[in-house]
Amino acid sequence: MKHLENNAFSRFHPISLAVYFVAVMLITMFCPHPVILLLSLAGGILFSIRLTGTDAFAKDCRFYLPLFFLVTFTNPLFSHNGVTVLFFLNGKPITLEALMYGADLALMLFGVVFWSKCWGAVMTSDKLLFLFGKPFPRLSLVLSMSLRYIPLFKKKWQEIKDAQTALGCFSEGGFLSGIRSSTRIFSALVTWSFENTIDTGMSMSARGYGLKNRTSYSLFRLKRRDVFFILLTLALAASAVVGIATGALAYIFYPAASVPQDGSAILFYVLFGVLALLPFAEETREALTWRYLLSNI
Amino acid sequence: MERLTPKKAIGYSIILVLIPLFIAGGAFLLENRQYVWISLCIAVLACVPFFAVFEKKTADVRRMVVLAVLVALSVLGRFAFSFVPHFKPVTAIVILAGLYLGAESGFLCGALSAFLSNFFFGQGPWTPFQMLGWGIIGFFAGLFSKPLRKHLSLLLLYGGFAGAIFSLLMDVWTVLWLDGSFLFARYAALVAAALPVTAIYAASNLIFLLLLARPLGKKLDRIERKYGL
Repeated sequence: MKHLENNAFSRFHPISLAVYFVAVMLITMFCPHPVILLLSLAGGILFSIRLTGTDAFAKDCRFYLPLFFLVTFTNPLFSHNGVTVLFFLNGKPITLEALMYGADLALMLFGVVFWSKCWGAVMTSDKLLFLFGKPFPRLSLVLSMSLRYIPLFKKKWQEIKDAQTALGCFSEGGFLSGIRSSTRIFSALVTWSFENTIDTGMSMSARGYGLKNRTSYSLFRLKRRDVFFILLTLALAASAVVGIATGALAYIFYPAASVPQDGSAILFYVLFGVLALLPFAEETREALTWRYLLSNI
Repeated sequence: MERLTPKKAIGYSIILVLIPLFIAGGAFLLENRQYVWISLCIAVLACVPFFAVFEKKTADVRRMVVLAVLVALSVLGRFAFSFVPHFKPVTAIVILAGLYLGAESGFLCGALSAFLSNFFFGQGPWTPFQMLGWGIIGFFAGLFSKPLRKHLSLLLLYGGFAGAIFSLLMDVWTVLWLDGSFLFARYAALVAAALPVTAIYAASNLIFLLLLARPLGKKLDRIERKYGL
């Protein structure tokens, strides 16, 4: 039942999803403000936990946490900007600013990494093909054919291998003869796949592929919910752009790290926080509804 | 197969010279941490003209199918050898695609192989760089297809060279990724640390080219002659 609880967000139209991911990732990439990056990372992590569960997240942490500290602590070794010198290492100053900059950079990197993970889980190949099918129809066709060939060729490989084993081709052991046998299978597979797929191509042109005025069926419908979601995303993203443009979300590390002054930036933090937490909120809402309905049945 | 017209040559040089210049200029002139992401955007954009050219040419469906087969084979190859780290036939197949199907198809074979195989090996901010790197390897193989097809030794040289350049380029990306700026000390340290990986990778290119070039080339030639592609 896990997948039923956890696909509320991915039921949005592919265009809505693409607009959302691109907006969040671009803001994360181009706004170095630590608060924004922290919010983005939190949103990405919470969403990925909803999508893939806490076990997968714990596994990720074991891999990413050391990297996080590596990025943070190696930056001062290579960069000696900044006014607050902590200590000297081999006669080179290690500065607080460089350390903070490293941490900020790590926040940004892992924010983008987690959002990419979510993108990978949500934007399945059918959605991507739908998105790219309009501007790049031939490319999408090549892509979808390759996607289909991968499992097909795997199966065929096994078939050829079985046939050759039955003929006694794999009877002698040893590394070299194994390689020779594999090469023979590969050769047969390549010949078979070219012949077979060119038939597909000819049959497609015979049926009028690529002619004008041909329509194609698509599973995705743009509903009111999707349009509303796009508008909300764009409005919230626009507020972040305003914040960056007016300097409210500016932050510098060198020579001295800036200190937050007035509270004017808080509004921008809140608005971006809403944007970053939208998928998590949607998934949570869906999960709660599901639980509630379950208990009433 | 495809002739290089002056107009096309200008278009190619814009893509292949100006964009790297932009990346390098951004790296050295702008004292701005964002250029790792700017270069990421450029990597995405750089792929677009190639895709557009492919779309515009009224490509034969049969050629598209052959391209799809090569992409699938290179992705499968990356799978088949994933137990040996960094030992993969992707570059060899991409080079052969460029040789026998033309420069644009070579680029597409490289870019799509990176894109598709990362569905299984993990998508991330590095995907556009791999797409561009492998794409350009296939593209140049197509441009120099005549001498490369004639002399196996040249082909092997190109394969080893392409592998090394690809690794060095990906190391540039790693440095940008780690520091947000290009620090030469870090790059040198990284290249030295990655030397065995680069060596294995270049060697795998050579081995797979040696194994695949003749038989796969013969098969592609045969298909071309049989169906008049």
